[in-house]
Amino acid sequence: MRLLRVFPLALVVVGAVLLFERPAYAYADPGAGLLAVQAAGSALVAAGWYLRRKIYALFRSEPASEPTPGLEPEKQLGPAGGEDSPNP
Amino acid sequence: MNQPAETFRDDSGLAARDSELECTFRDPAGQLRLTARHALRRIRPAAVESVRAFLSSPLRAALEKSGDLIPSQIASSGDHSFIPRGEFWLEHPRIEPITYPWEWTPAQWRAAAELTLSIASQAIRAGWTLKDATPLNVVFAGPRPVLVDVLSLERRDPNSSLWLAYGQFVRTFLLPLVAAKHLRWPLQATLFVRDGYEPDEIYQALRPWQRLNPDLFDVVTLATLLERPGKAQNATAKTPSKARDPKLTAHILQRRIARLGKQIRRAANLRESSRWSEYTQQASHYQPTDTENKKRFVKETFERLRPQRVLDIGANTGTYSLLAAEAGARVVAIDSDSAALETLWRSAAQNNKSITVLVANIARPTPAAGWRNREHFSLLDRLTGQFDLVLMLAVVHHLILREQLPLAHIADLCATLTRRWLLLEWVPPSDPMYQEWLRGRDDLYGHFSENDLRHAFDSSFAVVDRVALSNGRVLLLFERHSSPAAVAANGKSAEESAA
Repeated sequence: MRLLRVFPLALVVVGAVLLFERPAYAYADPGAGLLAVQAAGSALVAAGWYLRRKIYALFRSEPASEPTPGLEPEKQLGPAGGEDSPNP
Repeated sequence: MNQPAETFRDDSGLAARDSELECTFRDPAGQLRLTARHALRRIRPAAVESVRAFLSSPLRAALEKSGDLIPSQIASSGDHSFIPRGEFWLEHPRIEPITYPWEWTPAQWRAAAELTLSIASQAIRAGWTLKDATPLNVVFAGPRPVLVDVLSLERRDPNSSLWLAYGQFVRTFLLPLVAAKHLRWPLQATLFVRDGYEPDEIYQALRPWQRLNPDLFDVVTLATLLERPGKAQNATAKTPSKARDPKLTAHILQRRIARLGKQIRRAANLRESSRWSEYTQQASHYQPTDTENKKRFVKETFERLRPQRVLDIGANTGTYSLLAAEAGARVVAIDSDSAALETLWRSAAQNNKSITVLVANIARPTPAAGWRNREHFSLLDRLTGQFDLVLMLAVVHHLILREQLPLAHIADLCATLTRRWLLLEWVPPSDPMYQEWLRGRDDLYGHFSENDLRHAFDSSFAVVDRVALSNGRVLLLFERHSSPAAVAANGKSAEESAA
């Protein structure tokens, strides 16, 4: 509930920053912004990738070290790329 | 790069445009020369090994087979005398005419962007990367986009999750479309920017709430905020661009390309319509019988003359361009109305017709552009003397009334564009469309008649066929006096009569 109260305030603060900020005219390497966006996107997708592996690991019923006799050993879970993975 | 370079007479003996020795110069890996039939690319020694590796790769074979990449073969000095021995050159077929991004409709921008992303994605899967991603590397062969810069593909570092061309793609493909959709900046304005728009240019122009749009937030707002001094370095330093797992880097790259594809699709969805895009459906000054008579005359003319190359000026949604293409011609369709041409481009693409569409106004043709005005040809440089037949259906009254051009000047232009035939529709002053543009200037323009038109065109053309429609409009087929084909035909008949 506390989070719900804080969220609109945070939105207003972010909005105000975006509304009232002024352009900086000092030199910045052109393209650095998009490079940073790309790097940030990479980090988010990578985080999603590792998180998904962890989640899959949680639902694995048997540890790989003790395979059930007569059954194929469980295959290594491969990379899971879904539509929902974040990539700004 | 598709920039024109020097053009000169090649070994085929076909005349090329001029002989100025000006090569492309921006790409460190090679230069381009154009002959009448080929585009020839010199590969600098340092790049030869990587180019050879790409040429022998399955990726190149797959891209050429699908038609996404221009075909290449190794050129020899035997075929082209200007190639010095020991140098490595590639030969590509010439695509004519080149159209530039500032002459494309939004749907063509989207098609070119999606082609670029598709090639980038295929390259990633095959262990390569597309290092340049700009619309200037895409040329439309008829309605179909083709990547022409074979030097853009290079081996990929499997541990790097950065796509080096990401920034260029955003600046040159995505942001012009974003600006067209959200700010109404015309796509034609990209003539003035070589490397697209910077995120902060768009950011400054967007309204505050537009900056929070989820489709724009990363490439415009975040990119602008991170570009402030001191922030970019921090952000890049903290974020890893190298990962140990090649599967993960490929996954990151593919996600990035999928995201760009989504952003392009949303930005290119301009939902444009204009007065002229609905013109053919709404034209009340045409009775069905007149329309049928006009179509029949134009179709019969195409079938009788069998022109190989046709220029349709004022093509609108392309009813007559499609007729020309069905008769076997390669067509270039020009109109200043982007929405109308987009309809034509879609039907040409769906039916695989050889029609190149080009958003331009023949009365204010696209200028030459780039360094010393020699990087990109002007529209008239690309069109002059290239066509067997030029169509100007209901265009002359626009040129008279809206552009205030004298009839003699219009005749001169037509004589430079066509090698032989000109099919023209004369709209008389009594016509409602003529009256609409007359705007009370009856004293200046209200007296023009078909005879005035014919008199003005007399010096360059002879009328060889004529059909009057019941609405007062007239279709005239002209033949150029000094057309090479007409001269040859006259010479032959003179010889026959002498014998």
